[in-house]
Amino acid sequence: MKISRFLITTSFCLVLLLLGLAPVMAEGVGSGSFQKDTGIEISFGLPVDEAWAKNPANFDVYEKSDPDIKIAVDSVTLDPRRISATLRFKEPLNLAAEYVVDAKDITSDGKVIGARQFTIKKSETQVLFGLLLGAMLISNFVFTKYLGLCIFFGVSQKKDTAIGMGITFTTVMILSAVMCWALLTFVLLPYNLSFLRIIVFIGTVAIFVQAVDTILRKVNPYLFKRLGVYLVLITTNCIILAVPLENADGGHGPFASFTYALGAGVGFAIALFLMACVREKLEVCRVPPSFQGLPIAFIVAGLFALAFLGFSGLAIF
Amino acid sequence: METVWTTALAGLIVFAAFGLICGLALAYAAQRFAVKVDPKIEAVRACLPGAN
Repeated sequence: MKISRFLITTSFCLVLLLLGLAPVMAEGVGSGSFQKDTGIEISFGLPVDEAWAKNPANFDVYEKSDPDIKIAVDSVTLDPRRISATLRFKEPLNLAAEYVVDAKDITSDGKVIGARQFTIKKSETQVLFGLLLGAMLISNFVFTKYLGLCIFFGVSQKKDTAIGMGITFTTVMILSAVMCWALLTFVLLPYNLSFLRIIVFIGTVAIFVQAVDTILRKVNPYLFKRLGVYLVLITTNCIILAVPLENADGGHGPFASFTYALGAGVGFAIALFLMACVREKLEVCRVPPSFQGLPIAFIVAGLFALAFLGFSGLAIF
Repeated sequence: METVWTTALAGLIVFAAFGLICGLALAYAAQRFAVKVDPKIEAVRACLPGAN
């Protein structure tokens, strides 16, 4: 019951977050969108002449940070209504960067209208989704960075403890990541105290772990007993410290910090659950005596890590 | 030297305040979610030798 209430609250917060982001998604005039990583689509808002549009020399494309380095346009295609054009490039674009397209002497029905500038950038939602997917699957903290293995092997014997640990861990991770962002932005950076960040982050994590420990002891004594010493060991987990530190290094904002922590937490929960599924089956398998217990668990984790390599290079946008 | 002192002092004050607030919140939570433990259990355990 408690867990379902928690899930409802979380999803409600997510919907609120998405609603807040909606204005960011709707962009004004003079923008374009990426077509995979080899094309840019821009829309002129009125029909343009095909002869003008077909000439790649009419378009100057460059990254906003390097206006001097022009990127060669390979070909231009117009859509049947002649309103939007797709520029194709030989070399793949850097989707994390912001691009500018200068269209010179736009010609419509034989008349020259003038120049116009387009900026092409991934929207905030796409960036956040990329962060979420990256932390969850592509560079899963357990299987590709090999962090947090202590809890990972300690709690993955039974499915129900794995799920409980996953939810607890994600909660602590999100709360502490957002709190650490606030402390870093409003205290550590303004007072030039960023050399203190590791100790401050660990302190923040410890506060939330203590709070979860107190609450869980009352609310779910069964899970509390099953998690045992590993609940307190969340404090010293590598992932829970790595997430705020990477947020600080990457200069993530509050939403990005939240998303990254959510992705890392869910990724860890997925890893725990998968491992628990296999280890429950391993209980009834005939394992060679020298491999019983932890050694075979390490081998299984290695196989999972190999499987998770399949996610590398995954991109939805 | 002046700036070093102001920096150190600011950090000290902010984190002392932060720690105090969180400590009070945790103390309140501990009271609110207190689990009743029978004091007799502890008393009996204290009387036992505790060898195992």
